[in-house]
Amino acid sequence: MATLELSEIQAYLVKDYKEMGCSKYYLLQVTDAGEAKKFLSRAAGKITHIKSAVADICLNLGLTSSGLKALGYKEKNLQRFTREFREGMVTPHRQRLLGDFDSSDPAHWQWGGPANESIDIILMLFGKDEATAENYYNSLVQDFQNAFKVVHILNGGPLPSDREHFGFRDGISQPAIIGSGITGINNDNIKAGEFIMGYKNEYNIYPDTALLTEPQGDASLLADDAGGSGYKDVGRNGTYFVLRQLQQHVNAFWTFMKEKTKKEDGSMSNEESTKLAAKMIGRWPSGAPLVKHPDKDPGRESDDNDFYYAKNDKLGYNCPIASHIRRTNPRDHFEETPPHGSLKLTRRHRIMRRVRSYGENFIGSAENHKPGGVVGLLFGCFNADISRQFEFIQYTWANYPKFKRLYADPDPIIGVRENPGPGTEQNFTIPQPTVNKVITGLQSFVTVKGGAYFFFPSVSVIKFLSTI
Amino acid sequence: MIKQHPLILLTPVKEDQVERLQELLAKIKAALHAGTETAFQQVSTLRYGRWVILSRESFRDEPAVPVGIRLIFSTNYDGDLDFHLRELCTGLAQYIDDIYACCEGYPEPGNRTTESRKQYLEQWMIKTSAFFVGAPLRTVKQIRQEKQLKDFIWQLLVKNKWDGKPAVEIHRAIRNAVDAQPEFEWSKQKAKEPSINWKVFLPYVLLLLVALPLVIVGAIYLFLFHELRDKNGTLTLSQLPDSQIRRLEQDEDLFPQNQFTQVAVMKPGFIRRLNFQIWMLRTRVLAGHVFVKGKLLNIPTIHFARWVLIDNNRHVLFFSNFDGSWQQYLGDFIDQSGWGLSGIFSNTVNFPKTRFMVTGGAYDEEHFLAWSRSTQIPTQAWYSAYHDLSIKNINNNTKIRNELRKDLSEKKARIFLKRF
Repeated sequence: MATLELSEIQAYLVKDYKEMGCSKYYLLQVTDAGEAKKFLSRAAGKITHIKSAVADICLNLGLTSSGLKALGYKEKNLQRFTREFREGMVTPHRQRLLGDFDSSDPAHWQWGGPANESIDIILMLFGKDEATAENYYNSLVQDFQNAFKVVHILNGGPLPSDREHFGFRDGISQPAIIGSGITGINNDNIKAGEFIMGYKNEYNIYPDTALLTEPQGDASLLADDAGGSGYKDVGRNGTYFVLRQLQQHVNAFWTFMKEKTKKEDGSMSNEESTKLAAKMIGRWPSGAPLVKHPDKDPGRESDDNDFYYAKNDKLGYNCPIASHIRRTNPRDHFEETPPHGSLKLTRRHRIMRRVRSYGENFIGSAENHKPGGVVGLLFGCFNADISRQFEFIQYTWANYPKFKRLYADPDPIIGVRENPGPGTEQNFTIPQPTVNKVITGLQSFVTVKGGAYFFFPSVSVIKFLSTI
Repeated sequence: MIKQHPLILLTPVKEDQVERLQELLAKIKAALHAGTETAFQQVSTLRYGRWVILSRESFRDEPAVPVGIRLIFSTNYDGDLDFHLRELCTGLAQYIDDIYACCEGYPEPGNRTTESRKQYLEQWMIKTSAFFVGAPLRTVKQIRQEKQLKDFIWQLLVKNKWDGKPAVEIHRAIRNAVDAQPEFEWSKQKAKEPSINWKVFLPYVLLLLVALPLVIVGAIYLFLFHELRDKNGTLTLSQLPDSQIRRLEQDEDLFPQNQFTQVAVMKPGFIRRLNFQIWMLRTRVLAGHVFVKGKLLNIPTIHFARWVLIDNNRHVLFFSNFDGSWQQYLGDFIDQSGWGLSGIFSNTVNFPKTRFMVTGGAYDEEHFLAWSRSTQIPTQAWYSAYHDLSIKNINNNTKIRNELRKDLSEKKARIFLKRF
């Protein structure tokens, strides 16, 4: 197996920067290509890569396809990037795949949509606290104010107590990239090519990568294509980053849970609403998986990720088939495939999630679900094949209501359409030993406010881009 | 017992009428997408239908023989061919007149009758080489009825209190409620469910065992004298023309179901054509007699699929109707049955490199996906009789109907209730 070139790979791919109290994503537009390239040349040395020493600040950056174009990247070379990246998140077909309709329609987005200014570069700054991040930004901004215009700033922080705003412990299940220095449990160890170009993936082949077919820039900074084409590989040690700003309607979420668990006498129960919410997620607020704790939250914060479905919960009595974590990571249970084969299939559809929260540091619960102001997640994920990984999970596993044998069950957390159209039902089926319980009339609790696809180049490629 | 069959016509288009034909089909497509088109729903034998314009531009690779502009019309239908054609020629008479007036030799307006239309269509019928049915032995009517029955029972289950009652009792109560509805009288008759035809499958397996040495010799021969020398597709998806993929994507994921139309050129030489025919024979045996329970090579999302050789066996068409997205569909093929696809399509030019027919090829995910996309062609108009049902839904609904009539044990009654 090829050894990963760790000092080339941007660290955010393998490190979650949880200890960084403040993150600022600067969405930039190139105003002067020459200045922008000068900035990249200087920034390359400051990029936090996997081997970088622990510091109070981290810096990573990515580019959109318009960013590459703005720098002067040749059309023919750009063509070798994957189409998903080149087209970006907003196309009519992609809108259908991602389910971005109604108030999530890109037309209403705050950034990244057709009505917004185009984004070329994302500069991601992480500081141990707000002041550190600000200071660092101020030192950088000298460097690039002639090169870029700041289109939008996304402020974020680590999830408060590792919980997202609905109140559930998040980010527990993550893949671990083989060779990256981080090892996961069991099926979480994934071949590097699922996340990094230039290495073999779970099909044991090299993922599509961005080859330099038309000479430009200082090609001596680039490595050869591992696939043996003879071209230099701009994709090598790089990855794709998906970023979506997801506003969370915490009050609507918990109000829905309460309404749906209301007793005949009209009284509401916090316990029952929490249980319904947990059924939809697949974990309790503490993070404890329903497969192991079907009846109540054991309470202690849990990072338990060592569980399967096929043997213990085939029918979904503990963790519903339609629940969020079971659909987006089916582990060992595909209906058609035995457990061992299922695990293999699961490994072909993993993403490295990089989530930051924004708005008030608020943790919702059945008791307390009115945050002050707007709250949400900056959902991010890394993958080498946006179509087979992120988009597949979002459409085939989350949005598609006929997942497995179901009839009309989208992912209750991230797959519900606000206005599904006349006659279209959206349900959540909770398997029971006799009659299944069905929650009808699902509501959408998440609104997309912006999004884009970025290429995260290697450190050398950032230098290379400054020479084109 | 009503079986499902493939119909396919290949009709030459008048050169000066191509544009008009395209406009006509685009209009039909738009109406079908918008749901304003209702004539198709009245054709009781029609499951799926598609019109595809096949021209030189449809071929990614140089055609093996010269090709003109032709119109493909294909349907998947229930029962008798004669009746199906008659239904098409009456129910869709206007469309057929408009469309085929753009084709060679269609009767003049004064001479158009159901009979003359039918004769015209029959004249262009060609043979399907292999055919897969995801829910055999069910008619459109039955599929719609069984959906209504499932919906009715689902409402009963959701709207009533069943706390603490044993499954057997619930099952009985449902049956009584269904029996109280005269509209479900039909459900009292057991629906025939397909089963593996061992009389065909066993001899096939035996023959395969007996012929194994021959198969191995054949595979080695093919490897040495063909696979090592063939030119192979090495493009990846990013290298395909964007416009081509965008055109295909325009029609995708508008419904829970999608369609796929593909045309490929056979590799030259008798050996390749023979090998393809052997794989077609295998596919006919397996798809027709073994994969009868809703899964083609373990893929549970395909409603119908077919392979058709045209142009004196020099070109091959592949059609399918499936659930979910293109990425899922092709991914399933790679994950579940890459060897089958490789066996068949490695006989066409520019297929990704295979070894002994079964390794490489479809397992070479990047190149295989690019091959699939680049040989896929737009379908000008596509009809599904039931967009809102997955193949799993259809097969599950039949099980519901049959299990409703049985006296079930508590355990089986629980399984019955899991179907909702």
